Amino acid sequence: MSIIMDGLSLGAIYALIALGYTMVYGIAKMLNFAHGDIIMVGAYAILTILTVTGNPLLGILVSIVVCTVSGVVIEKFAYKPLRGASPLAVLITAIGVSFFLQSIAQLLFGAKSRPISLPYLGHVTIFGAEISVNTIITLIVGAIIMAMLTLFVKYTRTGRAMQAVSEDRGAAILMGVNVNGIIMITFAIGSALAAFASLFYLMQIPSTSPTLGSMPGIKAFTAAVIGGIGSIPGAMLGGMLLGLVEKICLSIPAISQYTTAIEFSLLILILLVKPIGILGKKRREKV
Amino acid sequence: MKKILAIALALSMLICFTACGSKNGADSDKTIFIGATGPLTGDASSYGISVKNGAQLAIDEINAAGGFNGIKLKFDMKDDKATAEDAATGYDALMDAGMQVSLGSVTSGSCQAFGTKAAADNLFFITPSASAANVIETGNTAFRICFGDPDQGVLAAQELTKNFKNIGAIYDSSDPYSSGVYDAFKGEMKKLGVKYIEQSFDAENKKDFATQVEALKNCDVIFLPIYYTEAGLIAKACVAKGCDALIFGCDGLDGIADQVDETVTNTIKYITPFDVNSKDEKTANFVKNYKAKYGVDPDQFAADGYDAIYTLLEVMKAAGVDDATIGYSELSDLLVPIITSDTFSYKGVTGEMTWDASGACTKVPIIVELGK
Amino acid sequence: MKRYLSLAKNHFKLSRNINWMLMSVALVFLAIMSDAGLLTRSFTGLLSRIAYSIILAVSLQLVVGFLGELSLGHAGFMCVGAYIGCFTANYLHTVIDSKLLVLVIAMLVGAAVAMVFGFIIGLPALRLKGDYLAIVTLAFGEIVRNIFKNLEIFGGAMGLKTKIYKPSELFIIAFIVAIFTIIFIQNLIRSKHGRAITAIRDNEIAAKAMGINVTYYKLLVFIIAAAFAGVAGVIYGHFTTPLLYTFFSYNYSIEILVMVVLGGMGSIHGSILAAIAITVINFLLQNNLSGDLAALRLLVYALILIVVIIFNNAPALKGVRARFNIRSFIRRFSQRKVIRPSLRYDDSAEWNQIETKIRMDEILTADLPHNEIYTPDPREKED
Repeated sequence: MSIIMDGLSLGAIYALIALGYTMVYGIAKMLNFAHGDIIMVGAYAILTILTVTGNPLLGILVSIVVCTVSGVVIEKFAYKPLRGASPLAVLITAIGVSFFLQSIAQLLFGAKSRPISLPYLGHVTIFGAEISVNTIITLIVGAIIMAMLTLFVKYTRTGRAMQAVSEDRGAAILMGVNVNGIIMITFAIGSALAAFASLFYLMQIPSTSPTLGSMPGIKAFTAAVIGGIGSIPGAMLGGMLLGLVEKICLSIPAISQYTTAIEFSLLILILLVKPIGILGKKRREKV
Repeated sequence: MKKILAIALALSMLICFTACGSKNGADSDKTIFIGATGPLTGDASSYGISVKNGAQLAIDEINAAGGFNGIKLKFDMKDDKATAEDAATGYDALMDAGMQVSLGSVTSGSCQAFGTKAAADNLFFITPSASAANVIETGNTAFRICFGDPDQGVLAAQELTKNFKNIGAIYDSSDPYSSGVYDAFKGEMKKLGVKYIEQSFDAENKKDFATQVEALKNCDVIFLPIYYTEAGLIAKACVAKGCDALIFGCDGLDGIADQVDETVTNTIKYITPFDVNSKDEKTANFVKNYKAKYGVDPDQFAADGYDAIYTLLEVMKAAGVDDATIGYSELSDLLVPIITSDTFSYKGVTGEMTWDASGACTKVPIIVELGK
Repeated sequence: MKRYLSLAKNHFKLSRNINWMLMSVALVFLAIMSDAGLLTRSFTGLLSRIAYSIILAVSLQLVVGFLGELSLGHAGFMCVGAYIGCFTANYLHTVIDSKLLVLVIAMLVGAAVAMVFGFIIGLPALRLKGDYLAIVTLAFGEIVRNIFKNLEIFGGAMGLKTKIYKPSELFIIAFIVAIFTIIFIQNLIRSKHGRAITAIRDNEIAAKAMGINVTYYKLLVFIIAAAFAGVAGVIYGHFTTPLLYTFFSYNYSIEILVMVVLGGMGSIHGSILAAIAITVINFLLQNNLSGDLAALRLLVYALILIVVIIFNNAPALKGVRARFNIRSFIRRFSQRKVIRPSLRYDDSAEWNQIETKIRMDEILTADLPHNEIYTPDPREKED
């Protein structure tokens, strides 16, 4: 029971990060490899505000702002000039941005991991298993965010414009959709989600380091691909699935050492069986 | 044509810096050059910096007192980020700079690379803190100041079975130090016939310890043969899971004080050869001088570094070294018989030490409690 | 005989073979210097590093620059080759006396095993492409690392203890292998097979329609690249001990990718120069930067990746690129005559015919190198 709850709350973190990947992929048709490192930026923002003011709520707000701004700035300077270039070029630039953020963080804060003291909220007993309040908050807030995002994309004007751009960019332009604006909003939303992910991450693992985002980033990306990249429900499903698999593998001593291998093998297997992921949409290719 | 020129230019640049590289060989002025590598950046940097500070303090004291036999000492530590590649590169750079005798590397993985190269050159080294069993197996010129990993594992097993019933252990399967201690612990527990719960993690999953702590929630004691960064996270995971077990670790836990805050109520104990609160005069002096120079209390690694330099000094004194230009190989041939002889011992701030031909050091461990 | 000689003379172009020829000259020179004891340990160590970096960069160039698929698992192939090759070498050292022979056999074994893995990874490459393939290769690299770390016979977390060779001996062998790699891949690219591979890069569906066996060539490229990465791994294993899984991380794959990108997609000369440059920069920074300033190295990589890619690919910078093209710059100063439109004048033709004529002339007479910097069209076309 407890393992499942742990798995779900880790899955919620992966899902939040995966949403950022999947939205950007769906709309800008690019893989934002630096997305994982936005979480690291958010974590350092929380750390800084917490050390200066000691107010965790302010820290969260600032980290949302910092993440959103850095997401938009990255889009503007690194990805926008490459719109229309080959996907390979964009992917390599994204990797470059990821390295850039990590090295800047290391220059500013040092390579050593720093502990962070977020308020500890105690734990409750549900069905005989002790579950920390942090886990429950992660799950509830995660669910609310995902529900809101789904509603936003389905029922608002901007959301529908996003769907239109993702479906057919050319037609969307003809219909008067401001594609550059929509892409920027997508980056902003994805980065804000990453800020939440960094908060939940720190609630479970109270330590920051410049490479904090890279493993969760890669895993969340794996989750997005498993769920079908470009699909919002797919990202949630993939994230939860990966979180559960990771926690279950870790809890079995015989295979716990091979957890990483198992997770990535799962990815390869799913892609071989269904190259577009579980909930991905098939796109035909023309010459 | 331009391209050919560019390539030629690149090559001539390379050659240029061969020439630059070979210049800084001999160091005149009667000094003996002691080299070492250690992590000065990254997660293990606390160890490297401590050893460096401790060793530098010893060097300054010795040189202030006029050196020995008219010879002064010079010390340099290259950053190896606790990786084998960088330790090997560091070794080459130090040899180019004229290293005569060495403190090896600070961490086990690096020191294995360092030791293999040192064995090929017949360079004498005495590592302050690389505790893995295979570090001193690299050659006959390898010695160490700290305990070996297996010794700590065996000691921990005996200590824990004596005092506790429900024992759990978490180790890092991807780390040489952790696996080394843990394997010995496992063997000893089997010999003692005591059952315990085992959990592990590895380099890719060393942030989230909820699963492991969950499995060990009902234990009285959790044995952590790991480094302090992860141990700090495990302590916090214990709080989250409402687990109040005692945390028991080895010398890797030295440094955990900065990682835990007041929310952590678990008692933390670890094996160490060095007690900062010791009443021993030599130790008290060391602690005072170290604090005066660096502003913090010395940890076990600083003490190891300090002792390593003094041990080296004593061995060189006993060997009657009086020529500062002596080559590394000759120096090694002089020092090895002295340090392994039955009559040689040195009492440093980490206790009374003797060495045997294997390179291992014999001394008495103490168990300290954090915050006490 | 004479006929063959003249044939060889006609087909042998200095500009295409200059890379390995210069390297051979440099090697002979350095080997003599090293024999005379003029090279420092650090420098011979650096030379060994340069040699295996060149092997890695050139073999990755084959996948990324010529086949047009992004592989983020090159360090994974290197890892497989290193572990298996060095494991074999450790055994062979007990049977065979000749160190050189052991190393050669170990390299062959490493290459063979890496080839098997190249085949395994080549299989998904047939079904997946672009971003999906990139993530699969990344996953592969991590899986390999994770498995080798936990296998006790390879030393587990302690690493595999290998017998290291003196850098002053190793760099000569490593350089010879690097030169062989360059000649092999260069000739492959300039052959019929190479043209098929670049055709797949430019347009897979069109290539298929032209009768090119895409399956065969994709697998071939992955297998060859993996084999050379495996060889590089074996050299690395005899350079540093113990062999630790931590080295072969995704970051190292990226480091190789940086060499390829900096050198220019599809340029073998470029990859070699970039491999040398990056390794030297690395070495200098490592020895001279202490503390957290070491992050500057990462920062340099990041900026290289971002700036070079944006400069080479941004649609808005097309005009700038044309003006500052190094190739045309070089050509302007080389003795070879290049026909440029402005130099041609034919008053008998109509103005619109001039252009056609020139274009034909240009195509027929100009020496178009295969490794022209390539800007592909966006491949992901939407419905």
